[in-house]
Amino acid sequence: MSAEWIGKSPRRVGGFERVTGAQQFLADIRLDGTLSVRLVHVDCGHAKIIEVDTSEAAKVPGVHRVLTAADLPQPVPRFGPTFQDRPVIAVDEAKFFGEPVAAVAAETDDAAQEAAAQVRVRYEELRGVYTIDDALDSGAPLVQDPSLRPKDPLRNTNTLEELKFGWGDVEKAHADVVVEDTYTFPMVTHFAIEPYAFMAAPDGDGIRVWSPIQHPFILQRIIADVLELPLAKVRIFAPDPGGGFGGKGYPKFEPLLAFLALKTGRPVRLVLTLEESFQAGRRMANRVRVRSGFLRNGSIVFHDIMADCMIGAYVDIAARVVEKASYTACGPYRVPNARILSRALLSHTTPSTAFRGFGVPQMSWAVESQLDEAARKLGIDRVEIRLRNLPRKGEVFIPGDLPCDGNWDEALRKAAAAVDWGSPLARGRGRGIALGLKISATYAASYVVLRLHYDGSATLMTGTSDMGQGARTVFSQIVAHEMGIPLSQVAVVMGDTAVVPYDTSTSASRSTVIMGTAVFRACQELKAQIRRLAADTLSASENEVVVDRGVIHGPKGDLTFLAFLRDFLGSTRGELIAVGQEVKKKTWKHPLAGTTVFYELSCTAAEVEVDTGTGMILIHTFATVGDVGKALNPQHVEMQDGGAAVMGLGHTLMEHLILDASGRIRNLGALDYRIPTIKDLPLQMHSLAIENEDGPGPYGSKGTGEGGLLATSPAVGSAVQEATGVKIRDLPLTPERIWQGLQDHVRGR
Amino acid sequence: MPARTVSVTMTVNGRVRTLEVQPHHTLLQCLREQLELTGTKECCSMGECGACTVIVDGRSVNSCLMLAAEADGCTVTTIEGLAQDGRLNALQESFLEAGAVQCGFCIPGMVMAAQDLLNHNPHPTVEQIKEGLAGNLCRCGGYARIIEAVHAASRGKME
Amino acid sequence: METLQTSSLTRFIYARPGTLDEAFQLLEDHGPQACLLAGGTDLIVQLRARKLTPRIVIDLKKIDSLRRDITETQSLLRIGALTLLSNIIDDPRVNRHFPVLAQAAATVGSVQIRNRATLPGNICNASPAADTVPALLVHQAIVNLSSRTAERAVPLKDFFVGPGKTVRRAGEIVSSIDLPVPEERVAASFARLTRRRGVDLASINVCCLVSAAGLIRFAFGAVGPRPILVEDGSGRLADPAMDAREKERLLLGLLEQTSPISDVRAGKEYRSAMLLVLSLRVLQEALDILRAQRRE
Repeated sequence: MSAEWIGKSPRRVGGFERVTGAQQFLADIRLDGTLSVRLVHVDCGHAKIIEVDTSEAAKVPGVHRVLTAADLPQPVPRFGPTFQDRPVIAVDEAKFFGEPVAAVAAETDDAAQEAAAQVRVRYEELRGVYTIDDALDSGAPLVQDPSLRPKDPLRNTNTLEELKFGWGDVEKAHADVVVEDTYTFPMVTHFAIEPYAFMAAPDGDGIRVWSPIQHPFILQRIIADVLELPLAKVRIFAPDPGGGFGGKGYPKFEPLLAFLALKTGRPVRLVLTLEESFQAGRRMANRVRVRSGFLRNGSIVFHDIMADCMIGAYVDIAARVVEKASYTACGPYRVPNARILSRALLSHTTPSTAFRGFGVPQMSWAVESQLDEAARKLGIDRVEIRLRNLPRKGEVFIPGDLPCDGNWDEALRKAAAAVDWGSPLARGRGRGIALGLKISATYAASYVVLRLHYDGSATLMTGTSDMGQGARTVFSQIVAHEMGIPLSQVAVVMGDTAVVPYDTSTSASRSTVIMGTAVFRACQELKAQIRRLAADTLSASENEVVVDRGVIHGPKGDLTFLAFLRDFLGSTRGELIAVGQEVKKKTWKHPLAGTTVFYELSCTAAEVEVDTGTGMILIHTFATVGDVGKALNPQHVEMQDGGAAVMGLGHTLMEHLILDASGRIRNLGALDYRIPTIKDLPLQMHSLAIENEDGPGPYGSKGTGEGGLLATSPAVGSAVQEATGVKIRDLPLTPERIWQGLQDHVRGR
Repeated sequence: MPARTVSVTMTVNGRVRTLEVQPHHTLLQCLREQLELTGTKECCSMGECGACTVIVDGRSVNSCLMLAAEADGCTVTTIEGLAQDGRLNALQESFLEAGAVQCGFCIPGMVMAAQDLLNHNPHPTVEQIKEGLAGNLCRCGGYARIIEAVHAASRGKME
Repeated sequence: METLQTSSLTRFIYARPGTLDEAFQLLEDHGPQACLLAGGTDLIVQLRARKLTPRIVIDLKKIDSLRRDITETQSLLRIGALTLLSNIIDDPRVNRHFPVLAQAAATVGSVQIRNRATLPGNICNASPAADTVPALLVHQAIVNLSSRTAERAVPLKDFFVGPGKTVRRAGEIVSSIDLPVPEERVAASFARLTRRRGVDLASINVCCLVSAAGLIRFAFGAVGPRPILVEDGSGRLADPAMDAREKERLLLGLLEQTSPISDVRAGKEYRSAMLLVLSLRVLQEALDILRAQRRE
């Protein structure tokens, strides 16, 4: 029974429930006596709230409570993972389209909706900050109340932060060729198929909160803060998210629900519509100006990058997104001189939050496109210019950080080969290739508890969220592999902070590496216990005992786990418990509070055809290659990588939130915000990996799952340029935009 | 306005159910809330995402675009009706085997749409699979493996 | 104004008449407060969005005399009031006489939508972008309306008044749609512009019919408040010897009745340009089909 589970692709743990409809997503969970909650918001992006009249709403039969800011502790508590700037419900002003100004709790959803429609809000629409230029306009209204950051010299501007990174000397560096351009990346939304949903219920002198949240312990901390409760009295249930993609990382309406539960003394439940989900989180929009210098041989001399990053009305995790993405803005290259200046700009729009890729796709769209421009000017092949500038394994390329940790040229060559790079192209076609680099976690605290039961089966308790990436499956594989027990005898418990030990977050493609290490260590700890304890049974000394894949070997004979447990625990029964952990403390002298645990590197290559009549793009061949170190479950790795690629095609080809002059989202909902369907797949898709077992995770693994979308846009953009001669600098590459580009090209604009 | 409920009798997953429904409630709401068949999911509520797909009288439909009252006299199959005695059907098996399931939220609707396709066309081409599933969004982007799963299930039928 | 996002529909009374007379009575009792329900794929979306807030929704599906099938007489196909788009796509008679209608119907929504949506419903919804309409227009479809007191037949080209508005009167129900089987050999082609390859509303759609005698009809959707039908009897557009520039000029003349606007789906300039691009394509394709027929 010592199956080798690493590098195999057993079926998804939890898959059975998902194909039978038995999987309980949050909206599927029923609690007795639950009140339905609906939100009320005003019809513009920025408004002064003059009066909220709830009297008519309160008369609707079945209504239990109508809550406004006036009903909350004063000043209304504010929360956020980095800045505590977001009020539980809008106070005085509505600062983005969709920010609730009132919430209704009623016996039925129908009653809640009817009452919400009866809430009368008197408000005055105010001038809003809806674009990057608005945010930089000194006459624009301030999004954030300056008193929230009294010591900040930028408090009287809409710039939340100005970040500077760099090395070398851009001014003094000599370049043979300089290219300069500006690239934009619009607001896009996560569009998880599971809309956001929340529940809360009083629990004695504490509270229980349900949320499909990726980071239950951050939610626990925030709820404890706003309710002034000890952590132990805040219990978070985090059912598996129906897709997260970063959008479900940080709290949104959970604090509001918690107050409603306490005010009503009842469980309360809020399931957002897809439209409301659009209004609850998005990717930050960027305008990136890059000046890049090159030597004649293609070597990068410098990048001078100025990135304006439009975040939303509240900071959420956006400042960290700007910071991490800016830090690696030069990509996976040897860049002797770099100057990166980024501004995080507040606006009266949906709070921007984490979104798969964490700011990197916005930067790589600009900086990778610069490499292509230089290659064209210099007459160097686009693969060649990248090869020339890639660091070798072990070479430092971001001063003070982890050196290059993979054979990245292999990824590049493999992707190029997958699209027959260099072979003759059919008419109207073009190819493109680009690399993307993302840093992972820079600090971490991840713990697991591993219990070996009386019958030899094992339960793993972990704070990771399984949102589709397959963490349950991979952790089960590690336990089954290390302990030598069948996969079917491993259970993974997640999603209850009263049961599972602490974990920082499920983000940054970190779980296989960081939580996986904790799992691996718990297995080693458990085996050490067994060795120690079995020595008696085997009449041997501890160091003579070897535990190997489910069998305990002693000098005089072997023991199965089952036999050992029966003997050791006896008829009183019991279990063995091990703790595993992986902790990486913050180091304050590093600009990101620590070096990255690993680099997530990916290469994307595409061959496209453009219908020059309509501007429609057809992707013939599409390849992504990730440096995954070791694929613990190759099928899962491919699913994640291919899925990221499809998502990347979404923001590259069709996705953008469009605002009107009042800051309303014009394409709110599934009808006019388009994401890829099954018919939008490239004709041929390859999700590939390189595996050199050189990662820091168990068995040499690195994280994956985001890489596939880091470089989609520059690869496709470059292919479109080769096919048509038109360079587009603004995403998405809609047929209309390509057609417009072709018209301008013909007219010689 | 006084709520006048409508009496509905329908066969759901082989069982005859008679119930009073609100006239303005959709079949989706009725299935999820009254019959507690929460396998059918709600996302866009406007027939664009396919998460609420069920089979009504032998054809796949978006249950968010059908009033519960309209289901009177209908035979409805939901995702809960596919497996028999805890045994997955061929399509469910092949979704798992092909790795077509990621977060799983779109999967009930996707499986129902695929089942409807195979019911009418046991051996679809890749193009026909794409057309058959074009009304089902998967944000995990697992389309390639979903095609593979449907293809494998249809091959299984051939053998 | 406050806004409210809901997944629930506005409240209404649901009625399920068994006969047309019962339905007419309900229409008379409730006047403009009544909505007719066939497939519901458009209606329910509008009820959810509160674009419609009727007192009563009258479900037509149990009315014995409203047919859900297609009947053929010598000179026409009659499409029953409750005929699904899926039935249109699969029907051999439609595919024989009006293949472009089957082709256009197959572009409406998804399989799930087409399994529920009816062809008459698609017309009565009166969306300027309705994909079945251009095909029906070039084939000179007739809408048959019944009321308690009278029956009347309205050519589809006169049926639409504006977005969501038709000449159907409050007491009337569409009982069927007639498609006259062409007396001479014709060929038609349909194209639409979308933002992605999968299910999408058309930013514009174009259908072109050519006859062996050189008559050309074009119908355009989403480029005006109502779908537009134009005809060219000069025979010049069908002439293979015609100079490409001249052909474009003639087409631009036909397009003068269109009035595309900018919206969230496409800009005016792009729509205008695509009208010409797609018109040229469908014209060529229709001519190619006609030529291939001749060879057969």
